[in-house]
Amino acid sequence: MSTDSDDIQSGFTRHGSNYYVAKFSPSECEVLINLVEQMLELLGERTDNHSDDPLAAMVGITSHDSPPDDEVLLRLLPNAYADQVDASEFRRYTELDLRAKKSAHAMTMRMDLKDSPDGIIEVDHESANAWLGAMNDIRLALGVRLKVQENSHEDLEILAPDDPMRGVYAVYSWLGWIQESLIEALMDEDL
Amino acid sequence: MVKLDETTEQKINEAIQELFSSEKPWVTIVWDDPVNLMTYVTYVLMELFGFTKEKAHQLMMQVHTEGKAVVSTGSREEMEHDVARLHEYGLWATLARGDQVI
Repeated sequence: MSTDSDDIQSGFTRHGSNYYVAKFSPSECEVLINLVEQMLELLGERTDNHSDDPLAAMVGITSHDSPPDDEVLLRLLPNAYADQVDASEFRRYTELDLRAKKSAHAMTMRMDLKDSPDGIIEVDHESANAWLGAMNDIRLALGVRLKVQENSHEDLEILAPDDPMRGVYAVYSWLGWIQESLIEALMDEDL
Repeated sequence: MVKLDETTEQKINEAIQELFSSEKPWVTIVWDDPVNLMTYVTYVLMELFGFTKEKAHQLMMQVHTEGKAVVSTGSREEMEHDVARLHEYGLWATLARGDQVI
């Protein structure tokens, strides 16, 4: 990920006892907003879910109990049991809630980015956790697309310059770097 | 008053312990994942379970080197709650009966 050359990358740093601050360039903000909006779209209603009972939906029960067909969604909304029957039952009662919680993380991130015309993001501990969750979901989604495996960064780093996956990998690494800076800033207070 | 011999007392204690532990036969397992950062897994375990940095780091290392680690033990309902919270933060977690985990 390239940034404005006069801009020193620092990621998130801790400010005072409760705040974590980062500055993103306009193009970085644009990339982050784009990614987070794609995540919100992905977490929206399942298209293979036609017959939702509105009353059941109100109390957080879905009519479907099968794992998502899409590999990315399956990683974001994984089975809670190895046993398929137990997994389906659990999914029926919890998947809507999990989607709502992940969407809430993504919405916090989007709102912070949209509310900051100068690209300066200031988050408290709670918002920081939402940012971490949202960035992690985006990395999980990109990781599935990149087929990331243990130590596969060695392969991904030597992708041909014209390989379309090269750009995806750059964004993936950059997000990991932002995430790491925020975690370091948060863990600092435990010292 | 009958005085119990040591072996009988030990057997009773074991039976009591088993009785109580069988009320908490479920475990939450976190599985290794190539995407999640090691520091992130440590941080999430600290946040969700209130573990110290050392304890969370040790569990994260177990996940990383052995492929999985039991992070909590309790009733089925409690473990379902833990798994849901771990999924919220993108960790790959499942629950199972404690006696079914090798």
